Amino acid sequence: MSKPILIVGGGPAGLAAATALSSVGQKAILVEKEQRLGGAPILSGYAKLVPTGEWAKDAIGGMVSRVETDASIQRHAGRTVAEFTGEPGAFRAKLSDGTTLDVGAAILCTGFTHFDSVNKPEWGFGTYPDVVTTTQVEQMISSGKGVRCPSDGRKPERVAILLCVGSRDRQIGREWCSKICCTVSCNIAMEIREELPDCHVYIYYMDIRTFGLYETSYYWKSQEEFKVKYIKARIAEVTSNGQKLIVKGEDTLVKRPITIPFDMVVHAIGMDPNVDNRSLASVFGVALQPQGFIGKANAYATFGETSRPGIFVAGAATGPETIDDSIAQGKAAAIAAYAVVNGARVAAQAA
Amino acid sequence: MPIHEKSLIRPENIRTHDKLVLDGVDVSGHWSTFIETRVVSDYNERLQEEIAALPGGEYIHRCWQCGSCTNSCTVNAVNPDFNPRYWIYLIRVGMESELLRDKDIIWQCVSCNKCTYACPRDVFPEGVMKATAHWLELKGHTPKSRSTMFDEEFSEQVIATGKIEEGRIIRGFFARSAQPLRQDWLIEMGKRLARKLPFKMGMLLGIAALIRPRTRGWGRSRDAIASYVGEQEQRQRKALSLPEPGAK
Repeated sequence: MSKPILIVGGGPAGLAAATALSSVGQKAILVEKEQRLGGAPILSGYAKLVPTGEWAKDAIGGMVSRVETDASIQRHAGRTVAEFTGEPGAFRAKLSDGTTLDVGAAILCTGFTHFDSVNKPEWGFGTYPDVVTTTQVEQMISSGKGVRCPSDGRKPERVAILLCVGSRDRQIGREWCSKICCTVSCNIAMEIREELPDCHVYIYYMDIRTFGLYETSYYWKSQEEFKVKYIKARIAEVTSNGQKLIVKGEDTLVKRPITIPFDMVVHAIGMDPNVDNRSLASVFGVALQPQGFIGKANAYATFGETSRPGIFVAGAATGPETIDDSIAQGKAAAIAAYAVVNGARVAAQAA
Repeated sequence: MPIHEKSLIRPENIRTHDKLVLDGVDVSGHWSTFIETRVVSDYNERLQEEIAALPGGEYIHRCWQCGSCTNSCTVNAVNPDFNPRYWIYLIRVGMESELLRDKDIIWQCVSCNKCTYACPRDVFPEGVMKATAHWLELKGHTPKSRSTMFDEEFSEQVIATGKIEEGRIIRGFFARSAQPLRQDWLIEMGKRLARKLPFKMGMLLGIAALIRPRTRGWGRSRDAIASYVGEQEQRQRKALSLPEPGAK
């Protein structure tokens, strides 16, 4: 009987890895630092997911309940891994509550941390209540309360979505594209237009990166069916005239300054490396990428290897990632970890 | 606010004072030159909706400003100020006063439709140019163009009788556009026609001019077309917040 495989993090990648291992008869142990499983889509209260349009609580909630009812997946919620020692096939993990686990391999599915908009003070978050983040708008929608200005609960008549907040910005040490915010913003813009047809939605962009098929179903659709407007400008500052938020910048297409009144400004916040990545790196002895995400060793031989043999990584822990790619990576890392703990046995059977 | 390009400075935005003393320093004349910035201080969402309500303008909201229309434009090649991409943008964000600055060149579109084939989003820029020229006329920013007068004369005759009669159209068009019928080229054309036209055709033309024939059973078609045209006209005027047709 092979040793179980440790999965750290109970978001989409971790849930997918756990279910994948169980489906081939491999025991898995899932450790999650929060009290609930589900990761960012559940813990941050996302609304409808890209690209299926399913509600996060149904789609990711379904993954959670499959894991929770699976006898071959042992779960430790509300705990973290404090120590991790040993060799591939014979690791020992000590959890924050003192539990010791003998495991054959580990998969880090530790995800990301939402960018904190307070770090871009010129865009008004934390100063003006009607400056919110995409996560907050997701929560307004998923709670069923609808998109309202937090200051007085009124329906906004004009909303600005600012892209690349916490992404592609050397000033704050974030030189990466967070990959999903353009698509998420198109999705949110359409949801606002659907709920409030009289509300005009403007998206301020440097580039629109709705990659692959999202081009049609998010960017084009938001423009062609929902008449969302796109203005090529990186906003300089968000202020207020007492009544409305004032968005200042340069409209690069007509080469002139703009100062436009808005009821609500939404920051399309990016994905930061998980705030725990430095301690994760030291506990598991894995190298980080220069940007702070967990590094991968080799993209072509074995998927999801870290710098330490026997420890794998999947999902947004390795860099900004979509939910469906995180799920795919979780499954790919699962089969790589499975090979580590079962490799000798499987090879012997074949011979 | 920064000045981006010298070419964007307009004479009417330059302010100088013949006599100006600041903190005891005489900065009269060129020393006191200021340039007023042209800040976009609001969006007017109505303008795009108005253009979209006119035939040809329906797909303006699809534009993503790639510039394919302007790059492929026949007129732009001879007049760099003719810039469909720019006007579409002005309409989309509602910069009406900027659009009106170009009211005397927008009509120059020759409808070659190169932009129609170049546009990756099927915005139909040629249609937008047509709708914009139409909008300028309806709003009274430009006088009714001769082509509009011709179209009106032509369609009114067709709607009335189900037929067109060339002589009547020419007379009607010249009357509408306040042009004298006694024009050398027209007289010359009439003379040559009289010389070369087969006798029978000349007779038919003459009879048609006198008795104004109608297509048999035209009445029902006429009513249907007239009511459709009336509906469209009413819809367009409403979209543009103009008084009902006929109302003064």
